[in-house]
Amino acid sequence: MISPRILRRRIRSIQSTAKITRAMEMIATAKMRRAQEQALAGRPYSDKISQVIADLAAQPASGGALHPLLETREVKKIAIVHITSDRGLCGGLNTNINRHTGNFIVGQDVPVSLVTVGGKGRAFMRRAQRDIRAEFTRISDRPTLLETLSISHIIIDDYTTGYIDRVYIAYSKFINVMLQQPMLELILPVEPAIIPKTESTEYIYEPYAQYVLGELLPRFVEMKVYHAILESIASEQSARMTAMRSATENANELITDLTLTLNKARQDMITKELLDISGGVEALR
Amino acid sequence: MAKGKVIQVIGTVVDVEFPQEALPDIYNAIEINQDGKKIILEAEQHIGNNWVRCLALTPTDGLERGTEAIDTGDSIAVPVGKATLGRLFNVFGEPLDNLGPVDAKEHYPIHRPAPVLEEQEISTQMLETGLKVIDLITPFTRGGKIGAYGGAGVGKTVIIMELIHNIATEHGGFSVFAGVGERSREGNDLWLEMKESGVIDKTMMVFGQMNEPPGVRARIGLTGVTMAEYFREVEGQDVLLFIDNIYRHILANMEVSALLGRMPSAVGYQPTLGTDVGELEERITSTKRGSITSFQAIYVPADDYTDPGIVTTFGHLDGVISLERSIVELGIYPAVDPLTSTSRILDPQVVGEEHYQVARGVQKVLQRYKDLQDVIAILGMEELSEEDKTTVNRARRIQRFLSQPMFVAEAFTGTEGKYVPIKETVRGFKEILEGKHDQLPEAAFYMVGNIDEAVAKAKTLEE
Repeated sequence: MISPRILRRRIRSIQSTAKITRAMEMIATAKMRRAQEQALAGRPYSDKISQVIADLAAQPASGGALHPLLETREVKKIAIVHITSDRGLCGGLNTNINRHTGNFIVGQDVPVSLVTVGGKGRAFMRRAQRDIRAEFTRISDRPTLLETLSISHIIIDDYTTGYIDRVYIAYSKFINVMLQQPMLELILPVEPAIIPKTESTEYIYEPYAQYVLGELLPRFVEMKVYHAILESIASEQSARMTAMRSATENANELITDLTLTLNKARQDMITKELLDISGGVEALR
Repeated sequence: MAKGKVIQVIGTVVDVEFPQEALPDIYNAIEINQDGKKIILEAEQHIGNNWVRCLALTPTDGLERGTEAIDTGDSIAVPVGKATLGRLFNVFGEPLDNLGPVDAKEHYPIHRPAPVLEEQEISTQMLETGLKVIDLITPFTRGGKIGAYGGAGVGKTVIIMELIHNIATEHGGFSVFAGVGERSREGNDLWLEMKESGVIDKTMMVFGQMNEPPGVRARIGLTGVTMAEYFREVEGQDVLLFIDNIYRHILANMEVSALLGRMPSAVGYQPTLGTDVGELEERITSTKRGSITSFQAIYVPADDYTDPGIVTTFGHLDGVISLERSIVELGIYPAVDPLTSTSRILDPQVVGEEHYQVARGVQKVLQRYKDLQDVIAILGMEELSEEDKTTVNRARRIQRFLSQPMFVAEAFTGTEGKYVPIKETVRGFKEILEGKHDQLPEAAFYMVGNIDEAVAKAKTLEE
C-alpha cells in the first residue's frame, strides 16, 4: 500500500498541474477567438488572389514567362516553408505537421531545403538533419503582414535566382475548433488553372504585363505565407485549448482516484491503530 | 515413559500435569490415546505446578480432562533419505499418498539446531531458472533464500510450480515442497502435475494445509526443512526447498501464541515473531557439504509491505521477487515487478558486467516510463520529447518481453512453455535497449521465449 504522505504529495502536484492547464485553456480560448477571426477574414482574399494568379499562369505566354515567378524549370531543388508553433502543449498538432512534411521529404528524389517557422518544426528538422535554409521563431500571436515579409522574401529571392525550382508551404489548416489538418501546398511555380475552352479569359494589362505581374506576384507569395501563418496560429490556439481541456479533465479524474485511495489508506491506518489499542487494552485487563 | 494427565484444554492448547521428577523436555512429543484415536501434543512451556503447556498437532475434539498422556521422550521425528523421494507426508512424517509404508532407515527430529557459522558455505554462484525476468532482475543464489511477495491470486504458486519443473528437468536436483497453510486442493493439483511431468521421483512433499490445526501449520515448515537437511548433510546434495506459504507459518504461530498465554505484540503478532521465523529460516542455508536453495512464497496481508510479519521475513532473504496485481492486470505473466524485485547477487562481480548493465538498463527505462506515466495520463503521449517517446516505446516492449509462456500454465495459455537460458535473456534485453527492435510491433514481444522468437512473431503478425 502506498503511504498517505506520498499520496498527498502526488495529489498536490497533480492539482497544481491541473491549475496550470486550466489557465492555459482559458488563455488559449481567448487567443483562439482572435486568431480564428483573423484567419477566416483573410481566407476570401487569399483564395481570390490564388485564383487570379492561377488564371494568369494559364495565359499563353509568348516567348518565355512573363515574370521570373511564373517560370517553370526542371526541378533540381525543392524548398518547403514549414510552419509550426513555437510552444508545445497543443496536442498532436506539431507532431502531425512534422510527420506530414517529413514523409513528403522522404518521398522526394531531389534535395529539399527548409525554411522553418516556429521552434517545434525547427527542432524536428534539425534532429532529422535536414538542410535548413532559414529559421524564424517567436512570431507574435497576432502577426502583421510586415512581420512575415522576411520569410516570403527569402523564397522569392531564392526562386528568382534559380537556387530553388519549386516551393511548397506546409501548415496546419484551421477547419474547426476540434479539427486541424496538416496541409502541404505548392506555391511556386504557380499551377495554371484549367480554363474551359468555351470561356475566353484573355487579360489585358494596363499599363503593361511585366509591370502588373511584377507588383502582383510577390504580393501573392507574401499573402500565401502570411495566410498560412494565420491559419497555423488559429490551429495552434484551438488545438491547445482542446488539449488543455482534456488535460484538466484527466488531471481531475486522477485526483478523484487518488483521493479515494488516500481515504482508504487513511481509514486503514485508523482501523489498524484502533485494533492495536483495543487489543492492548484487552491484553492488559 | 512418564505418564501424566490432561488438566485443561483451550482449543488447540492442552495443559498436562506430570510427576515432578518426570517432566517432559520442551518440544517432546506427548501422545494421548483417545478411544483408539491418537492425539499428539508437543510440549511448549513448563508453566509451574508440574504443568506442561502443550500444543496439539491433531484436532482435540472430544478430549477430556483427566485423560492419560504419555511422554514419548523425544520430539517428533520424520523419516528421511532416499525412501522419502516421490512421497507425500504430513507433519509427523506419515505418508498421505496411500502408497504403503515408508521404508526409511533413519528418522530425524524436526527441531534441530541451525548449522554453525564456520560450517556455512561462503562462495556465491548463480542458479539459472529459465524464467527471463527472474534470471535478469533477481538472479537466484545457489544455496540462497528467495522470497516471492504478492497478494492473493497474482501467481505465486504458478511460479513455484514452474521453478520445480524447470530446475528438476534442467538441473536434475532433488526438491522438497512444503505446503504450509495453503488450499489443500493445490496440494492435490501439484501432486498430479508432478506425476504427469515425471519430476515426482526427485521430489518429496509435505503438507500441512488450511484444513489442519494451527499446531500442524506451525511445524510443517520444520518437517520440510528436516527432510531437505538430510540430503544436504548426509548425501551432500544441492536441494531445492519450496515453501508455500511462509506467511502461513507466521500466522499459525500467531494463532497459538495467545493461547499459550503470550501477550500480543505490534499489530497483534506474537512477541516471539523474530524467533519463530528465525528458527525456520536459519536452518535453510548452504554448508560445506551441500546446499539448500529455497524459494518461499510470501503472502502480503492487504498488500501492506510494512507489516511486521513481512518485514521480519524480509530480513532473512537474499532476493525478493515482488508480484504485482497491476502487472497481472496488464496480462503479463509471470507478474514480477522489475522495479521492486531485488537480489543480493545482481552484482557485476557475480553475474558479470554485461548482465548487470543490461539489468540496470532495463530498470532505468522502466523507471523512466513509470515516472512519465502521470504526464502521459494528463497530457498524452504527444507532449513527450522525442527521447522520452523512444524510452516509453522501449519500456513497453521490455514490459511485454518480460512475460513468458510457462510449462505448467500450458493448459491455460495454450502456448508451449519456454526455457530461456540466461545468455539468451541478456542478449534479448540488450538488443531491445540498443533499439535494434524498435520497429517491431509491441505484440510481437508478448509471450515469447528468446528475442529471435519475437522477431519471428513479428513476421507472422505482419502477414
